[in-house]
Amino acid sequence: MLSESVRAAAGPAVVPATVEVDDLVKVYPGGTRAVDGITFRVAAGEFLGFLGPNGAGKTTTIRILATLLRATSGTARVASIDVARDPAAVRQRIGFATQTVTIDQMATGREHLALIGRLHRMGGRTLVTRVHELLDLMGLTDAADKLSGTYSGGMRRRLDLASALVHRPDVLFLDEPTEGLDPQSRLALWDELVRINRTGTTMFLTTHYMEEADRLCERVAIIDHGRIVVEGSPGGLKSTIGADTVTLRLVPQASATNGDAAGALAASQAEVRRRLGALAAVVSIEPTDDGVRLAVRDAGAHVPELLRTIDVDGVRVHGLAIAGPTLDDVFLHHTGRHIRAEEADQTIWTGW
Amino acid sequence: MSEAIGAARQNEPVRSAGPLGGLGRFVAETAYLGLRAWRRFYRVPANPLSIVLYPLIQLFVFSQLFKDIVQLPGFGASSGSYLAYLAPGQITFTVFFAVSWSGGNLLYDYRSGMLDKLRATPVGRYAILAGELVPLFLECMIMAAAILVLSLLLGARIETGLPGAVGVLLLAGAFGVAWAGTSFVPALLTKNEQATGTLSILFFPIAFMSTAFVPVALMPDWLQVINAWNPITYVIEAMRALMVSGFEWDAIGRAVVAIAAVGLVLHSITLLAFRRLTD
Repeated sequence: MLSESVRAAAGPAVVPATVEVDDLVKVYPGGTRAVDGITFRVAAGEFLGFLGPNGAGKTTTIRILATLLRATSGTARVASIDVARDPAAVRQRIGFATQTVTIDQMATGREHLALIGRLHRMGGRTLVTRVHELLDLMGLTDAADKLSGTYSGGMRRRLDLASALVHRPDVLFLDEPTEGLDPQSRLALWDELVRINRTGTTMFLTTHYMEEADRLCERVAIIDHGRIVVEGSPGGLKSTIGADTVTLRLVPQASATNGDAAGALAASQAEVRRRLGALAAVVSIEPTDDGVRLAVRDAGAHVPELLRTIDVDGVRVHGLAIAGPTLDDVFLHHTGRHIRAEEADQTIWTGW
Repeated sequence: MSEAIGAARQNEPVRSAGPLGGLGRFVAETAYLGLRAWRRFYRVPANPLSIVLYPLIQLFVFSQLFKDIVQLPGFGASSGSYLAYLAPGQITFTVFFAVSWSGGNLLYDYRSGMLDKLRATPVGRYAILAGELVPLFLECMIMAAAILVLSLLLGARIETGLPGAVGVLLLAGAFGVAWAGTSFVPALLTKNEQATGTLSILFFPIAFMSTAFVPVALMPDWLQVINAWNPITYVIEAMRALMVSGFEWDAIGRAVVAIAAVGLVLHSITLLAFRRLTD
């Protein structure tokens, strides 16, 4: 626990603030309608995520909110201040971590944080204390006086995040904060973001990682082609899907088609589709690279029946995985596409 | 770290403008960002090395090349020391070089996202630009100093002594800052480092058409007319006065006016281009 005097010296406390966006539109000079009439609210102290594929309009929205881009029409208010009317006042209240890590490579970690603090009109002991505290919080104390260009990827991200926190922003904007991080650093950063949120900071995050939105955000808005498709809590959104995902890995029966593996797989997939399509519990079937993916109601109870149905010549099941609905399924349900094809393929193989 | 959620902010003044007014803030922010830009420059060992070596090599080569130029009619009696005569022209050339690579830094910040990071803070937009001029100012002064020192070592005299030498350095730095637009504008408009370098080098002929190497009397008529409008000539003539004759205030005054005029025009365009980039 910090004493009262130290806390006062370390700068202002966080004042919970809201984000209100009404009918926001951004049309780029080339005619691209990047944001196409978005309306949403972030409550004070809430953690909201914008989930969507690349090019959905996430970065454009966050740049408008962070006062870096002007909206074509509509209004955006951060901490009850209109971003177009008084951007300078908004900048006092917000922190912004850009999509790519932007740290001054030729400055030390300490120098970089001090610079950002000075630009936020902090100084003297307040700033020194705050920089010290942040370096400690981010585990960068040992590297504080080394040039940040020598830092590892995870350290750079943490320094970048720290620089968005120097002035204790009331609202923190994070554009794809864990993009390019290794899994371990990502987990560590997630913990850090949760901790920041607990101090009262309103969080607005964009991501195309469904696990990230699922794990961090109290509320998720799914965005596609510049529009909010659906919003709600991750749990609430998933429960509306009402089906689990069953992924089957099939072994091509080469003997049937004279060694043509691709043709054999296609034949197996067609057979599976024909047979399982008749079952009431199966909502949809789509082929994957090495089998099929099914949406099945109450999958756990129906697995034996599924396997019995396809236990025929020409079909050999090599693996089966059941997953509850994910935010990707929510995205698929509302847009007919996956957020990222390669991500939607990730499942844990149980072996069969 | 323990913060009561929703606790009232106790020391609000930290976030207000504080005791500094608008201009004070601009100066302070320029200083912070200038220090950062200067660090970024000198921490790459090749940079400080090259801004000292480059002018030395250049002055040495040109001084050998033009050793006998003072024998030409038209140089007059005042040019007893050809080195003192040559040094101001060499200084403007080094300033041209420093300027030609200066716009690239702004582009680097733009591309890396640093510019966005800075703009998301309450820093004044133009302080970001002004901060980039700080290392340029220092580079120009250091390069000019290197030329003056070598000239002295090779036997030149500065008639006005140390105050005059400082005057030469200040003119060099100020001219570099004024001329920076020739690199910043192409940088901001093309957003391409190579284009920035090549476009700013287009301004080199203006230096060749100045009195950097030969006195105006030796130029063809048409070049003499151009020279009357060439700001570089006025800067060189003021430096030359400080080197070889004395504090000729009308020459110095003309140089200051020329630098101010160039700076006003180029920086107005730079500001417009910067607004366009950051809007």
